[in-house]
Amino acid sequence: MNSVSPSTVQYIGGVMQDELVESRRQQQQQQQQPMERQGNFGLRPPQSPDPSREAAGEPDEMDKLKAKLMSAWNNVKYGWTVKSKTSFNKMSPVIVLGQSYVLNSEDEVERFRLAFVSRIWLTYRREFPQLEGSTWTTDCGWGCMLRSGQMLLAQGLLVHLMPRDWAWPDAQQLTDVDLEVFRPRSPARAGGVPIPSFGSPRGSNTPEKSLPSEQGPKTSQKKRPECARDRLAEPIHRKLVTWFGDQPRASFGVHQLVEIGKSSGKKAGDWYGPSIVAHILRKAVSKTSALHNLAVYVAQDCTVYKEDVARLCDPSRSQAPPDPSSQAWKSVIILVPVRLGGEALNPSYIECVKNILKLECCIGIIGGKPKHSLYFIGFQDEQLLYLDPHYCQPVVDVTQVNFSLESFHCSSPKKMPFTRMDPSCTIGFYAKNKKDFESLCSAVHVALSSSEEKYPIFTFVEGQGQDYGLEGHSSGPAAHILPPGNLGRSNNRRNSDEFVFL
Amino acid sequence: MPPFDRTPLQNKPFKQRKSFATRRQEVAGIRSKFPNKIPVIIERYEREKFLPPLDKTKFLVPHELTMTQFVTIIRNRMALLPTQAFYLLISDSGLSSMSLTMAQVYKEQQDEDGFLYMTYASQEMFGH
Repeated sequence: MNSVSPSTVQYIGGVMQDELVESRRQQQQQQQQPMERQGNFGLRPPQSPDPSREAAGEPDEMDKLKAKLMSAWNNVKYGWTVKSKTSFNKMSPVIVLGQSYVLNSEDEVERFRLAFVSRIWLTYRREFPQLEGSTWTTDCGWGCMLRSGQMLLAQGLLVHLMPRDWAWPDAQQLTDVDLEVFRPRSPARAGGVPIPSFGSPRGSNTPEKSLPSEQGPKTSQKKRPECARDRLAEPIHRKLVTWFGDQPRASFGVHQLVEIGKSSGKKAGDWYGPSIVAHILRKAVSKTSALHNLAVYVAQDCTVYKEDVARLCDPSRSQAPPDPSSQAWKSVIILVPVRLGGEALNPSYIECVKNILKLECCIGIIGGKPKHSLYFIGFQDEQLLYLDPHYCQPVVDVTQVNFSLESFHCSSPKKMPFTRMDPSCTIGFYAKNKKDFESLCSAVHVALSSSEEKYPIFTFVEGQGQDYGLEGHSSGPAAHILPPGNLGRSNNRRNSDEFVFL
Repeated sequence: MPPFDRTPLQNKPFKQRKSFATRRQEVAGIRSKFPNKIPVIIERYEREKFLPPLDKTKFLVPHELTMTQFVTIIRNRMALLPTQAFYLLISDSGLSSMSLTMAQVYKEQQDEDGFLYMTYASQEMFGH
């Protein structure tokens, strides 16, 4: 009994609450990648000769404990410890990023599983290298909007780099899902539809017990014809995930994003908004050398200026004469920050949000519940389907050759009512080339104008922003605003009752 | 005794500062003097934390001005950067199409008192 099994080590090293939720995932990891566990828990000294990291040295035991307690508390608070099941109606379609799934047959459930689990899931992490200029080694409790933004970008990159309709061959089985028939059919019919055997039985407190029936998910893999092709794309998938690694040199890691955010007045530990994150992503993509044929456009004032997009995608266009060959076009991610109401979501926009999520060119929406960021990827009936970044996981060292991908994919889909959606969000689209962009414009236009609200939530406009007087004249320092700290208390209000002529 | 309201009168929303009759009168007066201008009230969203308060709330706007131009003017008055989030919510909840003219927006959305009410807000922040 002297030997300590790997699972025991993990149990001691990890946080108990994490274990419960993750037990199955970790068992899989142990079977597949016994090598990366150390990296996973940050015990191995960093490989990169990063000076800031060396200076920090071994993290203080107290800090480690604090981080663990914080992440445990976080995971309790956001419902990861006490598992709750998500119910899906078997009759009405589930929409995931432009694809529709009716979960009344095993094949459809399987397609849905692959569609959901193949999305890149980025969550809070702890014990990563210190963020420059701060003492933070975790983004737990403040970085959720950055994580949602990362997930949106990751989805854009999947569409950009992976084969069409790619699915992760090692996608886990779905967990914590209930399929419900809300409108019961005749007994014969209902009996004819096999209920998929995933998920542990409701009320079970010991997820491990459901293991035997679920083990070996690989064997349950359907023989999709694309499977071999998708397997070949694994190195790209892996590479893509490393760009989001929690280390200073990762192009789209938290370290880079926080660094870029500094020019917008943000720092580590601050809360971020969907619009700021859109601009951070734009800068991060233009900064990286890894993606020379991809650009990010961020709409201002709910308007996409088509000529501005064209100039961004086709640099030869800004010179005369413009190059007519559409080959030169870069692919583009279009981000539209919006505010769909004052304090709460204006209900007349719900239909419109649904229409957008039905579009194949849509790569999701970053927003959330008030103060709580989520990445929305679809919906069913009156509920949004999302990936939740609020799960604090130990850092994974993505510089290791065979690092585990398990913690970068989520197996439990979650839903929330549209009515709880915060009105602030950023909508994402992707167009591979010029032709794609043209069809995107018309598809989005149709989706937006079918809303019951008379005015679309944003518009596509010919020409450039500057044609509309968007750039240039700034009133400079003499802004017509009240001096700070003087909020209406001074005499300024006395003459505020006069009309200003525009 | 009525509940004590600590908010000074001048910090209250325009509609609460003045009675309906007074507001109506104001609109009638200004409309007769400047028939081709639209009276607009612009106020900061009460929970706004990032955008500064404007020094004026009442604006007279030409009919043919588009929402895009109007938003640009207000942005400039606040000296905002192009990347800063700024949204005008009409009658506190709806957005307007940016290509509409002020006359069109006024026709659809004017208040009973004759003013067009707009609230400006940035975006909420998310953190836990």
